[in-house]
Amino acid sequence: MFSLFLIPLCILLLLLGMFGVVWVRASVVKLEYKIGELEKKKEECLRAKRMLLAEKASLLSFERVEASMGKDRRFIFPERARVVHVEKQKEPQPYKASLEKKQPGQP
Amino acid sequence: MHRKRGIILNTIIIFSFFAVSLRLVDLMVFEHRRLAERAKLQHVKVEEVQVRRGAIFDRCGRELALNIELESLYCDPENLGPDHENLKRLASTISREPHAVLARITTGGRFAWIERKLEPSIAEKVRALNIKGLGFIKEAKRFYPKGELAAHIVGFVGIDNQPLEGIELRYDKYLTAIGGKVSLGRDANGKTLSGGVNKEAKGNNLVLTLDEGLQYIVEKEIEKAVVKWRAKAATAIMMNPYTGEILALANSPAYDLNSPGKASGFERRNRAVTDCYEPGSTFKMIVGTAALEEKIVRPDTLFDVSRGGIDVGRKTIRDAHRRGVLTFREVIEKSSNVGSVMTGIRLGKERIYKYAKLFGIGEKTGIDLPGEVSGWIRPPEKWSGTSLGAIPIGQEVAVTPLQMVRAYAAIANGGFLVKPHVVSEIISPEGQVLVSFKDKEKKRILSQSTADTFREILKGVVAEGGTGEKASLHDFDVAGKTGTAQIIDPQTKRYSKEKYVSSFVGFVPADEPKIALIVVVYEPRGQIYGGEVAAPVFKEIVDKSLTYLTSPREDNHYKNLLLVSR
Repeated sequence: MFSLFLIPLCILLLLLGMFGVVWVRASVVKLEYKIGELEKKKEECLRAKRMLLAEKASLLSFERVEASMGKDRRFIFPERARVVHVEKQKEPQPYKASLEKKQPGQP
Repeated sequence: MHRKRGIILNTIIIFSFFAVSLRLVDLMVFEHRRLAERAKLQHVKVEEVQVRRGAIFDRCGRELALNIELESLYCDPENLGPDHENLKRLASTISREPHAVLARITTGGRFAWIERKLEPSIAEKVRALNIKGLGFIKEAKRFYPKGELAAHIVGFVGIDNQPLEGIELRYDKYLTAIGGKVSLGRDANGKTLSGGVNKEAKGNNLVLTLDEGLQYIVEKEIEKAVVKWRAKAATAIMMNPYTGEILALANSPAYDLNSPGKASGFERRNRAVTDCYEPGSTFKMIVGTAALEEKIVRPDTLFDVSRGGIDVGRKTIRDAHRRGVLTFREVIEKSSNVGSVMTGIRLGKERIYKYAKLFGIGEKTGIDLPGEVSGWIRPPEKWSGTSLGAIPIGQEVAVTPLQMVRAYAAIANGGFLVKPHVVSEIISPEGQVLVSFKDKEKKRILSQSTADTFREILKGVVAEGGTGEKASLHDFDVAGKTGTAQIIDPQTKRYSKEKYVSSFVGFVPADEPKIALIVVVYEPRGQIYGGEVAAPVFKEIVDKSLTYLTSPREDNHYKNLLLVSR
């Protein structure tokens, strides 16, 4: 009686096991498809990025910038002798109280 | 009854499984190899690894050479069919003649390139034609975003990304990477499964010593000079006199790196390193420093040049303007040929040759660019009777512009001969510095005092009354020397009376030099003198370059100007 149920049970388990293996394998393949598609998308994005970087570098070339400025006639190159650079002011900082002793030469 | 049925069912199931197991053993053990190979052919796709050359940047990280991906058009001639209407449509889309396209298709075989590396918009138009038998393959293409800028340094690659010129050629082993093939899984529909493998190999990136801003300034100015003087060509090199870093190197005419096939060999010539010329008066610096170093003259040593000429062998060397008695300082400032020959005679040919060699004349500088020539100076035993009159004034010597700017850099930096270079770092795709060329060797060739003395003399050349007055800036001291050299006419084998090379070489600010610069204009028309043709170009370049570098004015103290700062 016992063996009458045990054998079909074993067979069922075996079938379930085999199904499980096939299911896992199918899932892996499905995942590989998904990853493959995403990799393709990534490649496309990288390709577009490369094109955009190239375009950006081209647009930022000195020649292009100068040409576009010349067209607008809003920008001119100043004479060097007339350019005066003024020292950049430091950002105002909050006053810091300290109990530490000042070192000689320290403001 | 039930028991009997159970036994029969069990037996059938067991036998079925046994039969399946036997078949599995047959397939997986005995037939394994044959079937695995068949499966591999069906399910594995072999793809080429895309090799991407490393990028090239200027010293501030601005891109000079990049990679983009474009599609190349191919066809299977057997599937394409002889449809003339389609052929015409295709030819007009890719801007080719139909017979040219037909010639490509009828080469035989089942694969033929029709057009490599199409613009994306054109590729889309071709795709829209929907012609059977056509296909696209993605390929990496080298792209030079700055076009003509630094064309002679960066160089270019061919259709298969093989290096052909410039840095692309010289540093190819670093820029390129080893490709190969990868196997990827695919299904019956040809859909690719992820193999988890890297499908591209990247080369190392290069950081140059060039500065795009300075390069742009130099290129524009020499281009203007060529137009103004209707010259054959012009070259300029800007160098850091302390390190030998090339900050800018330009030749005019130049060419677009994205279509090098359209440029002639003349335009592609990097004259800065591949062409020699007789330096003329700029060579007087070498004889002058040698005489100072050997203590044969002092700045106030007097030379009587009142005759206006001096006989050496069968040749008479003359001055452009007759002068009286000049000090050694004035000989250089006024560029007196007679005074320079007198100095040369006092120095003797052995010592002239020795110092020329010390300054690197007749030897390659070792710059990391292809095609450098060594120039030429004969050893003393091969000098003719007139050589002692010719060499001190820069004749019978052939130099490259790079050799001359390096020689003047030795005065600027206090007596060291530096090694010029254009690549500063080689960086891996991951950003790690693999090689750094920042610490270059330098060799002392002059004493500090000789260099300082000659620096003062060169400042006089650019001061009022000097031959290089037109190179002077009102707020910076400039040190430099003009040169005007005749070109030998290949037909008459004598010096031409119409063809000259005008040059100016110097450094600025004179006392704390930031840049050494040479400007060489080949065969100008209308004016020939270095002081008239090349010196103003030098002035324009350094004026704009100092603005670009935001150099504080030297006269801000005594003119009571605001502190210059950034």
